Amino acid sequence: MMDTLCVVIDLSVKHWQRSATASDQPLSLPAFLIQLVAFLNAYSAGSSDNALAVFAAFPGKSLMLYSSTDTQPQSTTVSGPNSYPPFQLLDDAVVSSIIHHLESLSDSEQEAPCPLVGALTKALCFINRLTLDHNTNTSNAEGLDPIALPDPRVLILSVSPDITSSYIPIMNSIFSAQKLKVTIDACQLSGPDSVFLQQAAHLTGGSYLYLERRDALLQHLTMTFLPSPSVRGAIAVPTQDKVDFRAACFCHKNIVDIGFVCSVCLSIFCQPVPVCSTCRTKFPMKTLQRLNASRPPAQPRPAPIGTNGVSKANGSSYGTPA
Amino acid sequence: MPTSVCTAKASYKKIPGVLELNDSNLQWTQDGRKAPSVRVPLTDAASLFCSKEGATQVRLKLGLFSDDNGHNFTFISPQAVAYSEREKFKKELTTIISRNRTAAENAAKPPVTALNASNPPTPKAATTVSPSRASSSRAASVSSDTGATPIIPGNDPASDFRLRKTVLLNNSELAALHRELVIGGQITESEFWEGREHLLYAQVASEQQHKGKPGQLVDPRPEAVEGGEVKIRITPQLVHDIFDEYPVVAKAYSDNVPQKLSEEDFWRRYFQSKLFNAHRASIRSSATQHVMKEDPIFDKYLEKDDDELEPRRQRDIDIDLLLDLAATREDHEETGNEQDITMQAGKQKGALPLIRKFNEHSERLLNSALGEGPSHKRRRIDESDYETIDLDDLHDPEASIGIALEMQDRQRYFEGRMTNASTDASQETLDIKEIIQNTNAELQQWASSLAQLKIERKPGDAALLSMTQNVAARLDVKSKRNDIPDGLFRQMRTCQTAANEFLRQFWTATYPPITEGPSLTTPAQRAAKASKMIGYLSKTSEKVAAIVQTAQQQGADPARVDVAMKPVLDAVERALVFHRNKKTSRS
Ligand SMILES: [Zn+2]
Ligand SMILES: [Zn+2]
Repeated sequence: MMDTLCVVIDLSVKHWQRSATASDQPLSLPAFLIQLVAFLNAYSAGSSDNALAVFAAFPGKSLMLYSSTDTQPQSTTVSGPNSYPPFQLLDDAVVSSIIHHLESLSDSEQEAPCPLVGALTKALCFINRLTLDHNTNTSNAEGLDPIALPDPRVLILSVSPDITSSYIPIMNSIFSAQKLKVTIDACQLSGPDSVFLQQAAHLTGGSYLYLERRDALLQHLTMTFLPSPSVRGAIAVPTQDKVDFRAACFCHKNIVDIGFVCSVCLSIFCQPVPVCSTCRTKFPMKTLQRLNASRPPAQPRPAPIGTNGVSKANGSSYGTPA
Repeated sequence: MPTSVCTAKASYKKIPGVLELNDSNLQWTQDGRKAPSVRVPLTDAASLFCSKEGATQVRLKLGLFSDDNGHNFTFISPQAVAYSEREKFKKELTTIISRNRTAAENAAKPPVTALNASNPPTPKAATTVSPSRASSSRAASVSSDTGATPIIPGNDPASDFRLRKTVLLNNSELAALHRELVIGGQITESEFWEGREHLLYAQVASEQQHKGKPGQLVDPRPEAVEGGEVKIRITPQLVHDIFDEYPVVAKAYSDNVPQKLSEEDFWRRYFQSKLFNAHRASIRSSATQHVMKEDPIFDKYLEKDDDELEPRRQRDIDIDLLLDLAATREDHEETGNEQDITMQAGKQKGALPLIRKFNEHSERLLNSALGEGPSHKRRRIDESDYETIDLDDLHDPEASIGIALEMQDRQRYFEGRMTNASTDASQETLDIKEIIQNTNAELQQWASSLAQLKIERKPGDAALLSMTQNVAARLDVKSKRNDIPDGLFRQMRTCQTAANEFLRQFWTATYPPITEGPSLTTPAQRAAKASKMIGYLSKTSEKVAAIVQTAQQQGADPARVDVAMKPVLDAVERALVFHRNKKTSRS
């Protein structure tokens, strides 16, 4: 069975430095890369049909580092009798190009944020290209709906916190991935949990993992991300227990249990507003009155909230705040 | 000066005066004054209510299109005179009102809607409805084009009862809830239906829709096969359908029955004939096929299979050139048009007669629904081409500009969430260049580092353990069976649906009413209802506790009942807290 895996690596120098100097279980970029390379080799060893591509988000730019479908320049040196040439080819291509690109970063690029979403988009484009090739090479050449690849997957290894301005491109990538039937796995290596990656994994049926033991990265990688989605029915992999779906109100950025949603642009507010601040839609007075009436007049203490984090407001079939 | 139709002594708001009906207005003038203080244009008269025969006061209430409350008049002559006076007014006004209502119905507005069932009009006025409360009523819109008298839910107790019964019969869940709550005496019938009027409207609407001709092609099927004998039950309906679908059979029937063939013989031979075989609605091989015989009578009526390139029955109407599929000939080759080769008429010769039969059948069906349309006039084909291909739908509608989504201050919103992360980043300054140099120096040694890579036992075991626990926890949930006994499960469901209904009643009574115009219940009534529901709701936790206890007795896991009932209890709690806060904030 052929698998397709695109690994997206976050190479934010700044955040790697923070991870390397963390007081609790530091993990440096070189240590990470060695374990990643071992993981990539393990994946390639699974089947000679397995397709693999590696993408990296450098400060200011995103690039493809390696693709098993492209012919690689022959490695000049073979290091030692223990080396297996195909692995060495892969390892060398990944590590050398990282060294090369880190060196060639210009001063202005060095400070720029890492466009993780750019690398993700490139990975999806790559999978799309493979899908098209796959279709032309099979009998489906004239088919209307392209047949999806057997098990396309993207694994994102992130070290930076969410870049909030990339929320919309991330969501768009998730939708594209859903259309291509691509599973997105994600691993947050350090820092706070990534809300975007949690949602990306959840919405594409992938697995999101926060690296709890940074001193056992390879253990995490092999247990969680080595089994392809098709075998996860038999080999269960760890994933997040809960995804926080609650939204923040647009007005105060508070996380709200009950939000009031603009019927035109879906902006979320923590209280009924006469005019939507996002799209300027005016709401009828009657609606406001009804919505206001649905809120407790005084709030001596907050009403209890369900264990699932979503409160069930009431059983009314209408006028229920969303 | 308008001509007076009738007058009578009548009081209005307990002030004596004279009521007068003339050919344009109904007016009332206080005794001793010259100008009338009430004047109602007759076109505004919408409904009429009268006090009962034998009541102490002889009253008349006129409802208006513009004002539901209308005007109340009391006839103050001695009772016998008052009666005859009122009868006169009533007779005149009834005529005027029915004229007004016809006019209102003809106007395209949705004319009528419900009076609430809990608030029935006086018996005498049972046929009057007040159109000013018109919200959109689907029932009326259907009836207005059928011309039938609309049935308005809430207006006539008898038809209301029937409608509700039909709705409940069609919706077993609702029926169960109704049984539990209304028949169980917890809430009243009208409370139950409040907020569910749309179900009754939908029922009325579906009842008033015309049923069209069934679209199935007549296809008599053998009922039983006994020793090679085929039995087809011939009903008058089937005969009618066959004659309708295949006029040639009707012709054969009138030619041969009863002179040459008896009725029975006719049908027996027809179903064994080649003619019947040609009339079958599919090419499936059926038991009838092998009994197909030569038949000198029926074979005369046999037509050649309709499988030539051109259908036998040509459509006599002139086909619009723009819709004519046969017209996809090569033209405008210079712009790259090619002949359409995807559609090849008659490629499957065997299917042609069937396809054409279906087409004819569909056409007949359409015509029976639409009525035979006006014969199509020969379309002028020399019309300007531009005019013909200028499609309305492709024009940009100027009127709708829409609302452009211009999100204000987008950056601020997105950054708002991540303030924590960005603040600590700004605090430290890093020498990126130096970090890159160090990293690269270390990376140069990657090959030897890779050779030395090994998983440390302790952290590896810890990671393995925590990930296994993660998987095991989910597996545990998955492997659990639903082992709640049926009876207990039913109790849980009943408890939940009842609580939901009480919640619905509570919140509808609590929120301002949705309906425009005068509300159907007074604030006091609504408050009373809300309190009543709170009374029921406050017992929910007791009920759940009882179920948990039952679970314990029956050996089911009480904790699972707790978990299952938690959302309901939370919702109930929310309502209780809401009610409590509202009360304290008022006092
Ligand atoms: Zn807010
Ligand atoms: Zn809006």
